[in-house]
Amino acid sequence: MTRLLKLSIALLILLLLIMNAALTPAQDMVELELWYHGGTQEENDETRAQVDRFNAMQDEIQVNFVELAGSLVAGTGYNDAVNAAAVAGDLPCILDLDGPNLYNYAWAGFLAPMDDYLSDELRADILPSLIDQGTYNGKIYAMGQYDSGLALVGRMSLLEEAGLRIPSSIDDAWDLDEFNDALAQLQALESVEYAIDLKMNYGAGEWYTYAFSPVVQGFGGDLIDTETLSAEGVLNGPEAVAAMEWIRSLFENGYSTLTPPDDNEFINGNAAMGFLGHWMATGYYEAFGDDMIVLPVVNFGARQATGMGSWAWSITTQCEHPDAAWAFMEFMLTPEEILSITNVNAAVPGRLSALAMSDLFGEGGRMNIFVQQLESGIAIPRPITPGYPAVTSAFFTAMDNIIKGGDIQAELDAAVDKIEQDIADNDGYPVQN
Amino acid sequence: MKTSQYSNRHETIYAWLMSAPALIGLFVFVALPLLGGIYWSFTNKRLISPLPTEYIGLQNYWNLLGVQVIRLDPETDAATGQVQTDLDGNPVYPRTRAIVRGNPAYAGFRLWFTKDVLGNRYVVLARDPTFLRALVNTFVFVLVIVPGQGGLALIMALLVNQRLRGRYVFRTIYFSPVVTSMAVLAIVWTFLYNPDQGLINRFLGAISFGSIKPAWLVSADSALLAIIILSAWQAAGFQMIIFLAGLQGIPQALYEAAQIDGGNTWQQFRHVTIPQLRNTTVFVIISTTILAFRLFTQVDVMTKGGPQDATVTVVFHAVDTGFRQQKIGYGSAVTVLFFIIVVSIALIQRALLKSDVEVE
Repeated sequence: MTRLLKLSIALLILLLLIMNAALTPAQDMVELELWYHGGTQEENDETRAQVDRFNAMQDEIQVNFVELAGSLVAGTGYNDAVNAAAVAGDLPCILDLDGPNLYNYAWAGFLAPMDDYLSDELRADILPSLIDQGTYNGKIYAMGQYDSGLALVGRMSLLEEAGLRIPSSIDDAWDLDEFNDALAQLQALESVEYAIDLKMNYGAGEWYTYAFSPVVQGFGGDLIDTETLSAEGVLNGPEAVAAMEWIRSLFENGYSTLTPPDDNEFINGNAAMGFLGHWMATGYYEAFGDDMIVLPVVNFGARQATGMGSWAWSITTQCEHPDAAWAFMEFMLTPEEILSITNVNAAVPGRLSALAMSDLFGEGGRMNIFVQQLESGIAIPRPITPGYPAVTSAFFTAMDNIIKGGDIQAELDAAVDKIEQDIADNDGYPVQN
Repeated sequence: MKTSQYSNRHETIYAWLMSAPALIGLFVFVALPLLGGIYWSFTNKRLISPLPTEYIGLQNYWNLLGVQVIRLDPETDAATGQVQTDLDGNPVYPRTRAIVRGNPAYAGFRLWFTKDVLGNRYVVLARDPTFLRALVNTFVFVLVIVPGQGGLALIMALLVNQRLRGRYVFRTIYFSPVVTSMAVLAIVWTFLYNPDQGLINRFLGAISFGSIKPAWLVSADSALLAIIILSAWQAAGFQMIIFLAGLQGIPQALYEAAQIDGGNTWQQFRHVTIPQLRNTTVFVIISTTILAFRLFTQVDVMTKGGPQDATVTVVFHAVDTGFRQQKIGYGSAVTVLFFIIVVSIALIQRALLKSDVEVE
């Protein structure tokens, strides 16, 4: 009995020693925690590989990669976790945030500005849309390796069968009448079930705001007034109502479906066209090869508009080693690392020098339309306001209700009331310094 | 004497020691959050904000419960004083928003619904229409699910209580949804409910030659029903097990006596089984009611409360306002009201359904 006891104690001590040794990092090593939202499997693997490469190339900083459950499209689970950590004072050093959410965190003082770290040389090489998207109140709080793109895709063979004019650059994009006509022609084709897949399988969430606020802007409306941050008369004005009527008509006319079972309606040939973010383009190309063509977004009349903004890296104010965190960011922003991730997720590379090296996105590349949209300024950042969480939730709820039969004016009025209420609840979001 | 005192004290210590894990758990995970919630419900505490938290008294509760009714007069022609009508001859009413925005008495109120009564149009305004709709939805859900799910569970229990071959297989099958994660089931059922390609509508279409094709989750009319069906299917297996235990506790002698008295199967069920299951039924009703009030996961995964608030529930609204809209104080007020409602209903049920009545 006593021998057994002695043996167990000895084993326990040994175990503790081993664990201790395993957990203690080498001396003078700075450890940083990094939270990542979890995109597609390939994207996760590549991001993890990038972190490994950074850890292997030097021996002063160890970045610990933590992937939190989220979903492909702006996972709410991830946002909930970050919110909770922020309140509990438990944020990691480096944080992955979806574009517009960063204004709320920056306003609340959870993010550290990175202007001082950013050299003029680097700043000049970064895609301007990334700077716009990462800036709040004059300071840069987030920097992405890539930006997103929103456009139409089609199949050359079907477009030709329907006898449509095929736009080749953003300057000769379809206008509203041409697009309506194209939808009718494609709908009439025998080989497809409906004209366009609008990715409604993503459900009421950030996708609606990302993809359809450009339609509202294209009709001359907007979500909020960019100066006053108020939504009154903007989101419930006649232009926004017209935009919503048109969106709803797509479903009423049978041009699209509210309930695609999954992400593959374009690939499996049910839909003739797709309205999508860059993240689907690789899979589509694999399915159809050179028959797949990226088309610029439609010019709805008032202005040509499309979505932008993607996940980007931020350094939190709870980080004890911001210099080390920036060293990691600098590594992630090298053209080589940018291309290694964008070759996997087909996002628009975030540096001009990386863009120039890219076959996909460079001039003549089959994804070049996305770059044209970002560089020409027709891509519009989602509302830059600390009240963004309330704005997006009001908008996508209203839109979901509208496409499922709600009264357009009443729903948009309700959305405006919610946004106004949120502004009042936060004392007008006074600028903090 | 001395020994007995000693052992008494000993027993008390042991009692506390044994219940300590449960008590500590209850205190940390139930009592503390409840107290915190009550405290925050009187403040405007926000989740992510540099602004200080302020005490605002009962304001959150007024914002939740504020309701006003106004009568809407049709628009009249300024020159003739005649009521304006649209092409179908119906009177034209002004936009509610214009009235609400134009009168400071209605500040903070939003349109909940309009109702035509005796030729007059009434508009019901609420400070938070979503919360009131959530209350209505939750009560509808509970009122349907408690008898529906309980009845289903009893039928299933009667079926698997038969001395049939393979009854253990059926018990396992009926019970399996209970031990499956609701989030997973909700995703699977979202596919089943797909109006065009889902299994349910394919089946309904096949047996009705395409004439029955509900939109399920996509329509405000059927979304709550869809959630109810899934929920009853998922949870009935649990009540089935409880009913089964109750059924097996009924002495066989009672059935034999009933048979000797000439009672047929229905009479045996009506006069032996039902009264003998009384205590079990009371437990099932009370526990199902409390569980049903907590409806959240299915809604969060399948509909996010939509379309048009058709499936929003009180718990969903608490999470949505408190966490996603970042108004912790307001969300806390929702949960405190919810706590009061559930406790009151549980107490009323207990008073009405005294379970200690012995049945001979």
